[in-house]
Amino acid sequence: MSLKSKKEPQPQPQRRVFKVIVIGDSDVGKTCLTYRFCSGQFQDKTEATIGVDFRERMVDVDGELIKLQLWDTAGQERFRKSMVPHYYRNYSSFQNLPAWIEECNKYCSSSGGIPRILVGNKSDLKEKSEVDTNTAQRYADSHCMPLFEASAKEDKDFANIEAIFLTLAHKLKCHKPMMSGDYPSMKRATVLSIDKELVRKNSDSYCANC
Amino acid sequence: MAGINLSDRKETLFLEALGSPVIDMNNLRKLCSTGIVETCGIRTICWRLLLNCLPKQRTKWPEALEKQRCEYQQFLNEMIIEPGLKRCNAAPGLDDHPLNPNPTSEWNSYFKDNDILLQIDKDVRRLCPDIAFFQNATAYPCEPLVSPTSRLENLRKRVERSVLSSQNLTRKRLGISNLISSRKQASREYDTLEEGQEAHWEVVERILFIYAKLNPGTAYVQGMNEIIGPLYYTLASDPNLEWKEHAEADTFFCFTNLMGEIRDNFIKSLDKSGSGIEASMNRVLCLLRQVDPEVWLRLDSLAIKPQFYLFRWITLLLSQEFSLPDVIHIWDILFSDSRRFDFLIAVCSAMIILLRDEILTRDFSHNMKLLQNYPLRIDVNTIISKAKEIYHNLRN
Ligand SMILES: Nc1nc2c(ncn2[C@@H]2O[C@H](COP(=O)(O)OP(=O)(O)OP(=O)(O)O)[C@@H](O)[C@H]2O)c(=O)[nH]1
Ligand SMILES: [Mg+2]
Repeated sequence: MSLKSKKEPQPQPQRRVFKVIVIGDSDVGKTCLTYRFCSGQFQDKTEATIGVDFRERMVDVDGELIKLQLWDTAGQERFRKSMVPHYYRNYSSFQNLPAWIEECNKYCSSSGGIPRILVGNKSDLKEKSEVDTNTAQRYADSHCMPLFEASAKEDKDFANIEAIFLTLAHKLKCHKPMMSGDYPSMKRATVLSIDKELVRKNSDSYCANC
Repeated sequence: MAGINLSDRKETLFLEALGSPVIDMNNLRKLCSTGIVETCGIRTICWRLLLNCLPKQRTKWPEALEKQRCEYQQFLNEMIIEPGLKRCNAAPGLDDHPLNPNPTSEWNSYFKDNDILLQIDKDVRRLCPDIAFFQNATAYPCEPLVSPTSRLENLRKRVERSVLSSQNLTRKRLGISNLISSRKQASREYDTLEEGQEAHWEVVERILFIYAKLNPGTAYVQGMNEIIGPLYYTLASDPNLEWKEHAEADTFFCFTNLMGEIRDNFIKSLDKSGSGIEASMNRVLCLLRQVDPEVWLRLDSLAIKPQFYLFRWITLLLSQEFSLPDVIHIWDILFSDSRRFDFLIAVCSAMIILLRDEILTRDFSHNMKLLQNYPLRIDVNTIISKAKEIYHNLRN
């Protein structure tokens, strides 16, 4: 089913497509996270993402089968400016979260609040520290985003990763339709992805920003 | 067997072409345009010649190589060894962090360089994950940098320290002393290497760092690692041991010359210029529209934008689309064309056209995945013949 064909009325119920954009600093694990969700596997060896990678998976949201389109973006600055307008027709590490949020708002504001979630990846790498989670939680709260911690690496965390994307799918399902959307069955969301390690490293600048 | 005779014959032709006192570049280009033979280190000579890293006069080779290698050694001294020695003598303390209110300009640029270094480090560790080569130790490590007795700050220590110092900084600013454990995150990566050894990816890291310092306008952009990877791999696998030993310096010059031709693709501010990435992507689409309007229209109507696949194809000279041997084969032919990146445009168009049946019948999702994961079943030689066909029709 193509995007265009969704414009035409169809007898059978349309399968809806939700578009999810995953953004965040380079090397935080966006590719691993989306790959884990779509294939169930941990991709041990990744290359830096150049441009944008497209993945998808069907999910069941309250009995409705929905196609989640995941747009796994490149973290480095150079690619943001060139690519971003294209995948947001509709964008960390922690230090850079304000910039990612700003970018996200820039491209999303017209459609009135795209659902967002914040993911702290690589949770396997750290001994959980109260302060970090709190800091991240406060930040997420102040931007009305749910916070998840996850590990793309740990097999046992797969259910958790599924929960992340399912939560998003639920949020999208409840989200009011976009005003300007040319694809009525298309909904969009953003996953802001950070590396838990970097939460620690950069929480100072976070403090400076809130 | 005919196959063996043919490749023997090809080898002879190459050896003849490379043996003459003044290399006939037109003849050599023609030979290379069907792929370079795998034997006798012929490829590394041809690539150096095609990338203007060797003069046409054979007698001038030793002198030219010597000069380049000395020059590289100077860069290495100036940009890595001397600053590393200074750092190891510097007193650790308060001025050892970027928030020092009175930083000297030297410190400033040191910390700025660290940002570049950290980005390079992230990327070179992830270089060519399909093969073990880059994780293996090089037989030619840079002695002053890896000697176990040296206290000099090499790039490895520098990466480790800058990770640690930003953690310490966090601790200081938050006033919480038990917040962070100073785990030596970087060190675990080197566990497999013996003392005094260096992985190939560390050599690549050094070349990229020096390139970034010498070219502050572009510095380092993700994807440059994917350009230098096949060059370094080829030069560092040279059967000619004398040249293999200098793979690092020689790769630096091949890379610099190649970047001179494709740099604009990496520079954001040139995206919209005539030489930028958008112009290149448009050239592929124009060619496609000319050669196969139906496929062009289909991609257009599915809203599959060139940014979603051509951006990577062109920026990386296809290095992420194929296996390393195939990439090297394609590069033989790209480098052999005097208007080499025109030929790349034709290769990209050919790659799309060869998928026409699927593109015309399948949906957005399918086609996106198809173009982002180029199917293995299509042989690179098929792609190259198709590209040549398009290219020659175009020029006539
Ligand atoms: N320990 C651990 N490592 C992870 C995890 N997720 C990713 N990694 C590693 O982190 C590195 C970077 O992962 P990627 O998924 O390529 O990072 P990215 O965010 O896509 O990076 P860009 O494409 O450059 O933007 C890889 O070496 C992964 O193996 C995780 O949950 N735990
Ligand atoms: Mg990635």
